[in-house]
Parts: sequence; C-alpha cells; structure tokens
Amino acid sequence: MFKLADLQGNILRGYTNKPHVRYLILEVVERSAARRWLADSVSGRNCVPQITSGDWGEKKPDTCFNIGLTYEGLRALGTPSASLKMFPNEFVEGMTARAVKLGDVGRSAPENWPAPFNEPKRVHLIATIYAEKVEQLDVVQERALTDVKAFKLLDTREGYNFPGDVVHFGYRDNITQPRFEGVPDSQRHPDRQPKAPLGTVLLGHPTNLEGLTWRVPQPAELGHNGTFNAFRVLKQDVTGFEKYLDQAASYLLEHPQRDELLPPGAEEKIGQGLSIEGLSRPAALREIVAANLCGRWRDGTPLALSADAPDPNADLTDFDYVGVGDARCPHGAHIRRCNPRGGQIVQRIANNSRRLVRRGVPYGPPYDPANPYDPAKPGDGDEPERGLLGNFIGASLGAQFEAMSCDWLNLGLQDPRITGSNDPISGTNDPDTSWFDLPLKSGGKIRLPGFPEFVSTRGGAYTFLPSLKAIRFLGSL
Amino acid sequence: MVDTSTAKRLVQAIIDNLEQPVPGRRPVHTIGIGVKGEFVASDVARAYCIAEHFNGKPVRVSVRFSNGLGGVKQHDGWSDVRGMATRFHISGERGNDLIATTLGEFFVRNVDDFFEFSKIAKREKYERRPWWRKVGDLLQLKIPPRNPYPNETENVDEGALRYANRNRFAQLGIFQVGLIGAPESYARASYHAVHTFWVTDPHGVRRPVRFSWQPVAGVRKTNPKAVPHEKYLFDELRDRLQRWPARFMLMMTIGEAGDALDDPTKPWPARRVRVAMGTLTLIKVSEDQEADGERISFNPCRLAPGIEVSNDPILEARLGAYEVSREMRGGCPFKWR
Amino acid sequence: MPSDEGLLDRFVDWVPTTLVFKCVASWTLVPYWARRTSVKSLPGGPPPSSRHGDNVQCMMNLIMPLKVKSPIGRAEAALAIAQSQDAIYAGLNNVGTVHFARFVIVGDNICMFSVYDGDFTNYIRDFIATIGEVFNEVVKLVEDGEKVTPCERNVEAFIQWIHERDLYQVPDTATDFLRDQEALNGDRAVSPVNDDLTLLPRKMVLQLRANKNVSLGSGYRAYPGFSVAQVRKQLGLGW
Repeated sequence: MFKLADLQGNILRGYTNKPHVRYLILEVVERSAARRWLADSVSGRNCVPQITSGDWGEKKPDTCFNIGLTYEGLRALGTPSASLKMFPNEFVEGMTARAVKLGDVGRSAPENWPAPFNEPKRVHLIATIYAEKVEQLDVVQERALTDVKAFKLLDTREGYNFPGDVVHFGYRDNITQPRFEGVPDSQRHPDRQPKAPLGTVLLGHPTNLEGLTWRVPQPAELGHNGTFNAFRVLKQDVTGFEKYLDQAASYLLEHPQRDELLPPGAEEKIGQGLSIEGLSRPAALREIVAANLCGRWRDGTPLALSADAPDPNADLTDFDYVGVGDARCPHGAHIRRCNPRGGQIVQRIANNSRRLVRRGVPYGPPYDPANPYDPAKPGDGDEPERGLLGNFIGASLGAQFEAMSCDWLNLGLQDPRITGSNDPISGTNDPDTSWFDLPLKSGGKIRLPGFPEFVSTRGGAYTFLPSLKAIRFLGSL
Repeated sequence: MVDTSTAKRLVQAIIDNLEQPVPGRRPVHTIGIGVKGEFVASDVARAYCIAEHFNGKPVRVSVRFSNGLGGVKQHDGWSDVRGMATRFHISGERGNDLIATTLGEFFVRNVDDFFEFSKIAKREKYERRPWWRKVGDLLQLKIPPRNPYPNETENVDEGALRYANRNRFAQLGIFQVGLIGAPESYARASYHAVHTFWVTDPHGVRRPVRFSWQPVAGVRKTNPKAVPHEKYLFDELRDRLQRWPARFMLMMTIGEAGDALDDPTKPWPARRVRVAMGTLTLIKVSEDQEADGERISFNPCRLAPGIEVSNDPILEARLGAYEVSREMRGGCPFKWR
Repeated sequence: MPSDEGLLDRFVDWVPTTLVFKCVASWTLVPYWARRTSVKSLPGGPPPSSRHGDNVQCMMNLIMPLKVKSPIGRAEAALAIAQSQDAIYAGLNNVGTVHFARFVIVGDNICMFSVYDGDFTNYIRDFIATIGEVFNEVVKLVEDGEKVTPCERNVEAFIQWIHERDLYQVPDTATDFLRDQEALNGDRAVSPVNDDLTLLPRKMVLQLRANKNVSLGSGYRAYPGFSVAQVRKQLGLGW
C-alpha cells in the first residue's frame, strides 16, 4: 500500500505551527552536484536540509523542508527520456504554455510575469521552507545553498500565515481539505463529503473516476506515490476588492429588493456574528456581498448552512449544496465553483472528482482599512503587493486543477445559471461584462454587474512532488 | 475627438486618389440610389436596446445603396464594395443612422494607418498581366491577378497589396476586397456596419455589439468570369421593388470581453450570440433622388439615445470626416440629438 | 472584348480551369514546392481561447482509419457501435456537455462528429469514465488503436491519440489561416513584415497536403454562445 514516511510531508499535512514559509526558486547548475544534493536531502547529510516526510515519528521537526521539480528540472537532472516521456502533457508543456486554459490572459499573461517566472525554462526546483520564526528560514536557506555547484538561487517568495488562518480579502481560509481513505483523519471539523480515494492525490492508486488511473512515470520508484502541484503566485488587489464592496453596497442600498436582501434590523445579527459592534446597514451589505462572492462569511461560516448571518456555532464544513444549502449559497460563489461537493452539476460524473489539496500562504503586509493606500497622496510610496502563494496539489493536473480552472472557475459550465460568467473573486473578469447573481430568500435574485478582476497571476510553475524513494532514485541517477 | 483639420486631411487624401475630383458629390460612394422603406423591430429587440426604433412600432426608413468607387462613371459590374446607409426616422425629427458596407472589416486600425495607406495605395496603371508572367504564377501555384475590366486603366489594387504585405492587420480587409465581386442586386448582398457600438438595455446593462443586414432573398453575386455590365443595379432595384418588397434582417452580434471591440480590422467570430433585432422592408425607390439620394447626409455617429459609439478610432474619425465631406458638397445638415 | 487579348492570353486564362492542368500540377508542382517549403501539420480541434462564446458548441471531427479496410471491417465497426447504444446514450447524458454526436463510417474510416461544450480533454476524460468500454471496443478496430487501449489505463495517452485524429479546423478567414501557419513557426509579428499575400493559394494547397482531412471554418450555429444545460433549462427540459 503506502507508508506516510515515503511521502513528502506537505502533501497530507498542513504544518500549522510553522506560519513562516519561504519558497526558493532554484536552477540546476551542475547535474552531478544537483543529484548529490538530492541524495543528501533524504537523510539531511552534508548540510543539505532534510526533506520532511509525512511521518514525523516521535519528534516534531523544527523546520520543514520540501521540494518540487519542474519538467525542465527533471530534464536538467538527466532523468532518462523514456521516463520523461511518461509525464503528462500539461506538466511537460509547463504552466506558461497553458495560459489560455488557465485564464492567465491580459494582466495575468505569462508575458507579464516578473523574474524568475519570465524564464520558465530555468525554473528547475522549487524548495519550500516552513518555520516558526523568520530567522530559521534564513538558516535553512543558507544550508540549502551551501553547494554552489548544485543549485543556483534565482529568486525567493515569502509568505506568512496570519493568525486565525485569515487571508487577504479578509476571509478565513484553510477550512476544508479532502480527507483520504487509509489516512488517519486529522481533520478538525466534521465533514460530510465522502473520503477521497488516495488516487486523488497520489499517483499509483485508484482515483475518484471509476476504473481510471493516471499514468505513473516509470520506473515505479520515480512515479509511484508522487503527485503534482500547481504553484501559483496570485496577486490580490485588496484595495480594489474593498472599493468594490463599497460600490456594491451603495448599489444595493438603492435597490428595490434591498429589504429582502437585508431585512431592517438584520445588520445587528450580522454584526454579532462577526463580533463588530454597531454594524451599519452599508457595512452589513458589504459583508453580505463578500459572503456571497465567496460562499462563506468572512469568518468562515458557510452560506449553505447560515445564509442570513454568520454563526460562530455553525459547522464549518459539514454541509452540502442540497436542499436549503443549494438555494441560499450562490451557484457562482467561489468555494462552490471550486468544489461543488454533492450539488447538482452538469457534468454529473464529475462530482468530487476535481478535488485539490490546497497549501497556500498569504504574502505581503496585511491591509489596514484605517489606512488604505491612496495613490493621490504623496509619501504613500508604492502600493505593497499582496496576495497568495498557492499550491494546488492533485494527482492529475489536467483532470483536477486545470479542469476546475477552465470549465468551472471561468466559464461556469457546471451550472446553466452561471454559464457565461467567471468566478467573482479569482476569475478573469472585465468590468464591462462581468456579472454575479445574489440569491434572495424568496427565490429571486439580484444581479451585481461590473466588477473588475481582483486576482492576477504573477508567476507559477507546475511541479512534480516526488516521493522520498523517487528523490533517492533521482539522487542516484 | 478627431479635430477638424485631421478630418479635412482625411477627406483630402481620399479626394486626391480619385481619377477626377467630383465637386458637389460624395468623393467615394458617389453613385447611389435612395430608397424608402419601413423597419419593424423583433419582439426581443427592446430587451437589448432602449433606442426608439427598437421598441416594436414600425419606423419609417430612408436607405441609400451605393457603389464604393469614387467618381461619376458608373461601373456596377466591377468588383467593388457596396454601401447601404440607413436612417431610421424617429420622433422629434431625429434620426438614427446605420452605415454598412459589403466589406465586413476595415483595413486600417486608426487614422495614422489610414494616412500611411493613402500614401502607399495610390491609383496606378492597371494592365493585363502578360501571358508569360501568368505562366510563371501558375508554376508557382499562385493565382494570377484578374484581367482589367473593359475601360479599366487604373486602380489601387497593387498599392493596396503592397500595404497588406507589410501590415498583417490590413491583410483581411484587403484580401476580402479583392474577392468581393459585384452583387446581382443591391437587395442580394449582406451589409456590415463593422464598428462596435454600445447598446443599453432597459436595466441599464450595456453591451458591445456589431450590426449586420442580412438579405432575406439571400446573397448572390454575378459571374466574375463574364463581361461586367456597367449599369444595371438601379433598374434592377426599381423592377424588383415593383414586383415584390425586398427585406433585410438586422442581426446584432454581442461581443465578449477580450474581443477586438475597438479594432475594425478584426471581425468577431461566428460563435458570438446573435440576436435578430428586426426586419427592414424596402418599399419603393424614391422619386426625389436629389433629396433622397444626394443631399441626404448620413453620419455613423448619429445615434439615438440607447446606442453609443465605442472607442474605435476609425468610427471616431468618420464622425468628423463625414461632416467635412457633407459641408464640401452642400449636403443636408440634420438635427443632431 | 478587349482588343489586346491575344490567342496566348486566352489560352493561359483557360488552362488552369482544366482537369488536365490540375492533375499534372498535383503530380509535379505540388511535390516540388512541398520539398522547397516544409509545411508542418497543424493541430486539430478548435483554437484555444479564453472567451466564453468560443468554449461552448465546440466541434470535434474525429477520423479513425479502420484496420480492416473492407465491408467486413466496416461491419465490425458498425456492430461495435450498435451493440453499445445504451452505453453511449447513458454516457452522453451524464457527461452533460454534448449537444450533438454521431458516428459515421466514411470510406474505410470510423468517424465521430460531435458538438460539445468546454475543454476538449475534460470532455474526453469524462467520456472515458462513463463509456470507456465502448471506446475500447471501437478503438481496437482502428489502426494503431492497441497502443492506447484499454483507455482507462492509458488516459493521458488516449486523450492525446484522440487529439491527433481530431481534424484541423481551417479558420473562417484566409488571414487567420496564414496566422495559424505562422504561429506554428513561431512568427507572431504584426507589422512591419514582408509577406506575400499572392502565395496564399500555394500555402493552402501545401497545408492540405500536410493535413489531408480538415474541417472548413468553425461551422454554422443557429444559436451560438449557449451551453447544453442552458438550452435545456431554457426549454424547461431539466438539466
């Protein structure tokens, strides 16, 4: 079967006590030195940081270290071409070649990506360091780069998990991860979604689609128990988002069905749920819009369970889009598009087949609504870049990450009520043509028009997360 | 806003490329015929656009069909772009103009491109290609250029081809012009307004759209191999309208984010949502051709409330250029909104 | 009639319309120019686009040459399809994104023509999940089919194999066709360039030599821009 010790730890664990994360984007310098480095990383010899596996045994490691290899990286290491041919097309082509499919157009197009992602052929290995304190990141980085002949550092990206798992845009994130058959359930919250077969996240195991298995690159040590990751640097326009919430709130204040959306007095209940005293009606409308765009109130309460107000006592992930849950959560809400759970979708075969393990960390300073960036004011400097360093892990990039991105996030093919619109939070939106429907209790809806794109892509790569056996194999090439 | 001096330069560039100036008449689309008709919007038109002529009530319409070439010599049978300029007469003596041609896309993106084009695509001698050159073409698997029409001594084909070979954005427009041929009837051609407009619906939602007229009788061209007739379109139209009315469907294509909204050289794919906005019925050729064929002055930017221009630079330039040309020939000014 | 038209002029105008010329040119001129200018085969399927209208009602034109090129081979293919009617219908219903689909035997080829929404690989993958068995039965009758069957165990290879047999869709405009050829050679310039539009006929001929079967244009749609589920919902049929 499989042993946790054979997997890299970041696949099935979230490293919740190590909020500081740094990504090292590396290029192979000399093949043999790089291979030695990989061989050393399995046990942590010769200064090279040890790869954290899925089984920590008795002692928790101080810092965690994991790696992912791009196709160019595998090639640079001298992986035999017979093995290289067995990797899936999308991985071979690389994320930059899949831009149109992923909606990376306009501002997000790879032509506009900053270094080092503007030279995708040089991005070979992405190493991730997780630590409790920032200084530890520097220590591990230095150790990783001791051998200058192995890898060259192209650039780094760093993030920090805010307390309470809050991300930019103010939502609580990291609530649901798929639970897997055969893996001890570390899920903190009850979840009525079926357990996902191991093949959802590891190569060489049965997948969610009956009878289908993904090709495991041979030899077996290389491919088995490996997985793929879509690493994305996603810039979030927080000021734009907050401004839009203001705009939407003023639009809704004048709307004839306003009182149905926000009954008089309901703003107090919403304020209670969010622990805000004296929440005004416009502010409550802002929170309603934010909740509907996402599918969860900003505190994490799912709309499917509690659509009128956030409820700290509500289950966070024990819900489904059936019955009341179906009607009150917008069909086009972000979390519903990414994971329609058991809800009715056009591609009936595909329920629960495009699930992803998400390991992300916000980057950039937190947004302070009291001190918003004002481009008109001198001395404000440049607006700091904020966003999410996202990792979307699944055994098949094409069947999971890409399939979700091109048909569900953008286009909205899974539900005719949203077809022709993109995800309001992360989709490729244009203010001239974007739209989103807010459901009302009575069954009617209010259409919100004209929102801009809030998330743009500033880099990324498809990486292969090899098992520890595979790392040893590559080290011994 | 394109300033008057640029507009004047545009018109002058067109006039300079004529065989002979045509004072008092349009420099291009000189030969034309005015026709009266009626437009009735479809039952869904008003859901997409609040403009008055789409509200469903029949609207009186004045149309002018024309040949694209400039000059007073009429060559109906020559391969040439045809125009269909329509004025919807709405309340308060206002009008909404829709100017369309059989060419579905333009060949320059903006005014600067157009001046560049005028410099390169000048009238040049056009002679029959010598037979031995044609053999050379065939050996290279090329199609030799067409033989000149009787009495055709000059045209801009070579210059336009030179411009297209240097600028990829111009290639589609110029290629299509080469193949456009001559219609059997003005009522048997499709006319396209090319530019993007923004229409506003009753909920205030604005959509970018492009309009086309589709002939209900279908498109039919004359045989390009046969000898072209010089004058047949006007009589054909008179006869046709005496026998039965000619109808056109107004089709409106809705663009999407990412489509070339402001680039008239790029047609929209056939995969865009297509709305049938209404039917135009041509009733009879106007008796007063001086008023309804010559003095009437259309402008692509004369639009009813509910329709607005896009940022298409050629559309913007046409606003000024048409005004300048109208003034130069004493065309009828019309109440703007 | 123009008086400058001599006998030779008329002859040279007439020759290219004759069958003899076209045959001789096909045997001599076309191979000559094919050697002089290498033309790569263009990929099949609709061109990638991020716009909604371009991602619904997409056309697939799949041509698969049969192994056994005789009425027996064709009968085998016909039987394989006929025996799987139930499976095919259930599969198509559950994939949910197919507007129309039909299997056609043309010459010694088993073809599938369909109109579907969304991404091509998702569509084929969902198909493998629902009617993989049918695919296996049909594809084993096709040339090179054994390389990718059973399709459930060779999902990625099967999808690639289907993509290679999906016809190139010649764009609606001649210039887009030229752009396709240029893009394949990595040429994305707009202006200034040094093209020769008069070479279009030759480029077309040589491309049709590299891509023997093609789909002409993106196809006509009576109600473009809408997905299967949107149409069914609008008509009150349940989706």
